[in-house]
Amino acid sequence: MADPMSSSDKIVVSGFRHFFTTADGDVQATDKVDLTIRSGEFVTLVGPSGCGKTTLLKAIAGFIRPTEGTIHCDGKLVQGPGRERGVVFQELAILPWRTVRRNIGHGLEIAGVSRAERDKTVRRLIELTGLTGFEERYPHELSGGMRQRVAVARTWAADPDVILMDEPFAAVDAMTRLTLQEELARLCAATRKTVFFITHSVDEAVFLGDRLLVMTRRPGRIKAEIAVPGRASGRDWESFTADPEMQGIAERVLKMVREERGAALPSGAPARPVGALA
Amino acid sequence: MSTALAPSRAAPLAAPAGFLRMFSGFRVLLPFAALVVLWWTIKIAAGISDEVLVSPATAFAAFVRLVDTGVLAEYAGTSLRMIGACAVFSLAVGVPIGFAVGVNRYAARSCEGFLRFLQGVSGIAWLPLVIIWLGLSYKTTLAVVIYTLIVPIVFNTMIGVRTIPENYVLALRSLGAGRLRLATDVYLPGALPSIVVGLRLGMGYGWRALIAAEMLVHSGGLGDLIFSARTFNQIDRIIVGMIVIGCLYIIVDRLIVQPIENLTIARWGVLRK
Amino acid sequence: MSAVAPSASSARLRLDRVAWMLLPAAPFVAVLAAWAAYWQIVRPPAATLPSILAVVQVVGDIAGDGRLGANVLASLWRLLLGASLGILTGVVAGFATGLYRGISEFLSPLVIFFNAISGIVWLPLMIGWLGIGTALAVFVIWNTVFFIVFQNTVLGVQLVPEVLEQGVRALGAGRFETLRSVTLPGALPYILSGIRSGLGFGWRALIAAELVGAPSGLGQMIFAAGDYHRSDIIIAGCLIIGVIAIAMDRWILYPIEQRTVQRWGLITDAEKEGV
Repeated sequence: MADPMSSSDKIVVSGFRHFFTTADGDVQATDKVDLTIRSGEFVTLVGPSGCGKTTLLKAIAGFIRPTEGTIHCDGKLVQGPGRERGVVFQELAILPWRTVRRNIGHGLEIAGVSRAERDKTVRRLIELTGLTGFEERYPHELSGGMRQRVAVARTWAADPDVILMDEPFAAVDAMTRLTLQEELARLCAATRKTVFFITHSVDEAVFLGDRLLVMTRRPGRIKAEIAVPGRASGRDWESFTADPEMQGIAERVLKMVREERGAALPSGAPARPVGALA
Repeated sequence: MSTALAPSRAAPLAAPAGFLRMFSGFRVLLPFAALVVLWWTIKIAAGISDEVLVSPATAFAAFVRLVDTGVLAEYAGTSLRMIGACAVFSLAVGVPIGFAVGVNRYAARSCEGFLRFLQGVSGIAWLPLVIIWLGLSYKTTLAVVIYTLIVPIVFNTMIGVRTIPENYVLALRSLGAGRLRLATDVYLPGALPSIVVGLRLGMGYGWRALIAAEMLVHSGGLGDLIFSARTFNQIDRIIVGMIVIGCLYIIVDRLIVQPIENLTIARWGVLRK
Repeated sequence: MSAVAPSASSARLRLDRVAWMLLPAAPFVAVLAAWAAYWQIVRPPAATLPSILAVVQVVGDIAGDGRLGANVLASLWRLLLGASLGILTGVVAGFATGLYRGISEFLSPLVIFFNAISGIVWLPLMIGWLGIGTALAVFVIWNTVFFIVFQNTVLGVQLVPEVLEQGVRALGAGRFETLRSVTLPGALPYILSGIRSGLGFGWRALIAAELVGAPSGLGQMIFAAGDYHRSDIIIAGCLIIGVIAIAMDRWILYPIEQRTVQRWGLITDAEKEGV
């Protein structure tokens, strides 16, 4: 299941610019964006609300067609959604009429995987995402955090080439969010996937990413790229907050994002609480 | 022998449990008993003649007669068979149409007003025209009741499909689902609660349209029974017929349609608009 | 938000908007086209299917000689009478019942039963008591509207959160004041929804009642036309019935929906339905 750490480019976005058409004229969603996501990387994209990061993700997912520019996945032009690019939505993604187990196995079911194989994979993912005991529950019986775990497990089970995550933990309460982030870090360590994760939380982006991209405000373009040393494996919030290097990176990024927001930073900024949103 | 040890895995059947709870005991029968007493009192106290209103006893006697002679079973059977057939047909034809229209924004937009209009005209209004085309037979009744049932079913199926959150469709497409998969795994289950609401409404309208049509077409059915009884001033028959009509509707609605609705809610968690 | 000058695609969007406005007419146009085509090709006898022109002409005729106006007014008048009575009695009875749980629970099975036979099922019985005429039609409408409005009112009253009523009481409001300032507004969306629903059912029941026996009215008009095989009058009548139903719903629907939308979050039985 694990991709060998190769230098192959999974996703190549080049010259991407997107406009939305409204009756009053075109609205520019993003400025020129070029980015590459390599196999096995966990790339996070952080930017202020409305900067166009969701638009970018939707284009990579194939939900919208870029007004300008091209997006390639494994060398092939992206023209629509496909199972090689899995997506985890923020909410309303898992089917309410299926149990947890059947939701997680859905991608495999579609791919025609045998029952036995399916069950094996599903069981493994249920363990990895901490859903043991909830296999036969329906989504409406679960909390928001549990539902997102199911969404993550479902995408992981389908084993796509790239996993796109659209602020998956934004609708969850703050405490659960921290837990989910740690769980995601552990999951990635155990499974070695290529992930593209967008968020407007700086801490989340630094905590999870190997490589962090900062987007300007609308119309967004990539303003900076920061390598975050050390793999996501073994990351937990305690060590993260205690690590001065990590905190330094986080402060730098926060400053960059705040510039985009237009908010002036007071000199001698005090220590930020963990999990602070930009 | 070992049933006592077998774990009770039987899923509670929504129908009997709810039915029993509703119809068992005093609480339900008492108001009707009170009504019967009131009925009897008024008849006697106001000295109403049998030409205008019969006593509960007379009505009951008529009921027994109608059951014994098999007349009630025949007329009731006609009506039930008709509504059943129309419901099945309307679902079989209306749901696919509703789907086809619902998946496309433009189709849905264009059909919505049209369907409301058809609903407004009501099957019964078309009756004189259908009589000209199909004569005074069960075919006319069939046509009118199907018309009445199918409109809310198509409409609600359409709505059911339209209100499915886009994310479900997108998520499944990102899992590699093709059109057929989307239809069976997302659209059908997603629209199901609405479809059931449409069925329930349709049955309500359809049963009334059926009785009205039977009155006019005069070839069997409970509507025919009570309307013909008027010609001979058989008040007792009229009253028996009315009561049977009411009871049958309640039975069909509560024992068949509502349990389906409840089952859907139980799984989906919430009945969406 | 930086907007660029309107492009070709936004002009297309505005054209789309116009098309969007016109779309609802499409099925009607399609039906008319099919009708015209069938008539041209098959040339059915006038009794079976008149031409579109014939129907238009007959509308002019009956409108001109006043028959249409008289019949429409007769039907609407009956609807108004029956519905007003139904709404008034329904709301009053609904309030009285809804406030006392014991009474509403006792009456509930009765109401369900009578709702199941509401409307034209009473026709054969009531013909004996009221004869054929306006009184009969009004009764049928009253019957239909009453039970729907009643049920919705009871539901509305019972669903007003107790805590709201208690709050006002704690401020010193008396019984009547509480009813007026909390219960009535709180139940209003349901009541209005019941009225809208009731009117729809009532109109249908009226036509059916007039079909069976009435000296005038739209239902009677098309029924009599059936006797003389005047399909043109039947079709004209049906279309007018449909137009009135839509018009009523639109002019009552929108104000009602305004009111219910204001009180966000309340989902009534009628709102669960599409039609």
